[in-house]
Amino acid sequence: MKKISLLLPCLLVGLWQLACTLGLVADDVVASPAGVLAGLADLCVSGMPPGRLLPGHILHSLERISLGFFLAASLGVPLGFCTGGNPRARALIMPLIDFFRPIPPLAWIPMAIIWFGIGFKSAVFIIFLGAFFPIALNTCIGVATVDRIYLDVARVFGASRLDIWRKVLLPGALPSIFTGLRLGLGIGWMTLVAAEFTGVKDGYGLGYMIMTARDLQRIDEVMAGMAVIGLIGLAIEWSLAKLAGCFALGRKAGRWIRI
Amino acid sequence: MRALSRSIALGLAAAGLCALAALPALTAPDAPGAPGARGAAPVRLAYLQNDLHHLALWLALDKGFFRDEGVEVTVAGVFRAGSEVAGALGAGQLDMAYLGEAPATIAAARGTAHIRVVAQVNTEGSALVVNKTSAINAVKDLRGKTVAVPGLSSVQDVLLRKALAEGGLAPGEVNVIVLGAPEMTPALRAGQIDAFVAWEPYPSRASASGAGRVLCASADIWPRHPCCVLAADKAFLAARPAEAAAVARAHARATVYINEHPDEAAAVAAKYTGASLAEAALAIGRVRYDAAVNVAGEREYLRLLAQLGFIEIKDQERFLDDFLGAAAGVSGAR
Repeated sequence: MKKISLLLPCLLVGLWQLACTLGLVADDVVASPAGVLAGLADLCVSGMPPGRLLPGHILHSLERISLGFFLAASLGVPLGFCTGGNPRARALIMPLIDFFRPIPPLAWIPMAIIWFGIGFKSAVFIIFLGAFFPIALNTCIGVATVDRIYLDVARVFGASRLDIWRKVLLPGALPSIFTGLRLGLGIGWMTLVAAEFTGVKDGYGLGYMIMTARDLQRIDEVMAGMAVIGLIGLAIEWSLAKLAGCFALGRKAGRWIRI
Repeated sequence: MRALSRSIALGLAAAGLCALAALPALTAPDAPGAPGARGAAPVRLAYLQNDLHHLALWLALDKGFFRDEGVEVTVAGVFRAGSEVAGALGAGQLDMAYLGEAPATIAAARGTAHIRVVAQVNTEGSALVVNKTSAINAVKDLRGKTVAVPGLSSVQDVLLRKALAEGGLAPGEVNVIVLGAPEMTPALRAGQIDAFVAWEPYPSRASASGAGRVLCASADIWPRHPCCVLAADKAFLAARPAEAAAVARAHARATVYINEHPDEAAAVAAKYTGASLAEAALAIGRVRYDAAVNVAGEREYLRLLAQLGFIEIKDQERFLDDFLGAAAGVSGAR
């Protein structure tokens, strides 16, 4: 992280606090940064709903997102490879994917509740739906758009089918795959919070926490919950960037771009 | 490069400042009495989806009671939780709305909605429902069980906590979760929750479908407890008092009509909730439709909500005057 990355957040928080202190915004509609911090402390100490503390909410949400994302990745990446590398497979599978893809994961919530109830499985299913399509699609595009010249050169040098997959298609598609994973994780995260709004059996989850804070009209805790989600998203994003660095993507196949 | 990033940062900062300057305009509620709106715009009302307590509104709409009183109304929203209704009132999207007394009190106490109670809508009319086959036969059997309520600090939540306390259960001994009312019966049937507290017609429907059994009616927990209210935005009340009074009159007339013509009311209830006529009639019998504001009831809500740590009110009498003021005076309940 560079120093300049901190500039805008600090500036924004400063201006926001100033606007609140000067009374430019009503404190019952927007909590000040200090108020949000106090709300954050309340979430950690007394919890929301009372007795259910913030770490528990984070843990439950992360657990749901991890499994949903893992399922989406372990199904989406192979499917993307399959459809990206083989035009006939693409013609076979893509219409189905293009049919299901525009259906918002949240539209599945009523079905999910009937099939899986209001608990863990339901949330995992919704996250899976949110994460699967960007992963599958980006993998497919990544594989399909590897420059033909590389393939021809590899063939000229007598590369086997396995070599072409391992040394040309996979490295060539990796940046796109990682983009898919990042998008998938982001969308999965969004759908999770919305899915938890319906209610969760164990009474834990960041979305659930925000909803109950809303029930009590605790704007400070609602905003603190949003900030927590943002920070976790940021941490995940940076970890993924590090992971991409481990794959030496920067050297081999294009640079990781932090957006 | 440095110069470039500096200019980008400055540009973004300027954009941020502009956004902040625009914030007050964005967060300011739409003025209900704004010029042009006066007299011309219909009164924007809202109710809770499938909440039989709000039958008076449906009846007044269907029977044309609002028109009879010379006021134009429009349904500007159908919500799933009282806190959502309160949010819409606070954002200036509604002029008047039907919602639970507890969420209305919370929003008024926390200042997120500047509202005042215009009339009572009903008392009683909720129930604690358990799985039909469960061994739960008394509130004290709920120890260690999972019970769903439609919202934290909803009327049903307050009722449950009152029942648990009276059943000798400490707050931590029962797992209380928030769940949308439509999801409750399926969750009960699937064994994911052991009980729920909901407004009618959900308890009646759960019994009728064989999924649930009413353990106790809210009347057993707190006889004649105030439930839903008709609340109005204070700015709207100040700008268009005659229309607010007309809506309250139509509401009072519809309330009397329900009690005098239960069969006709059941037909309207069936239309708005999708329940069968028999179910609707059964459910209506479990709700008391009463337009008189009950000050003692609101006092009890304040006590319970403060005890739960949900609100903190310094001057209770002043709050009561402000929140119920004229309505309490009109109904003579004081």
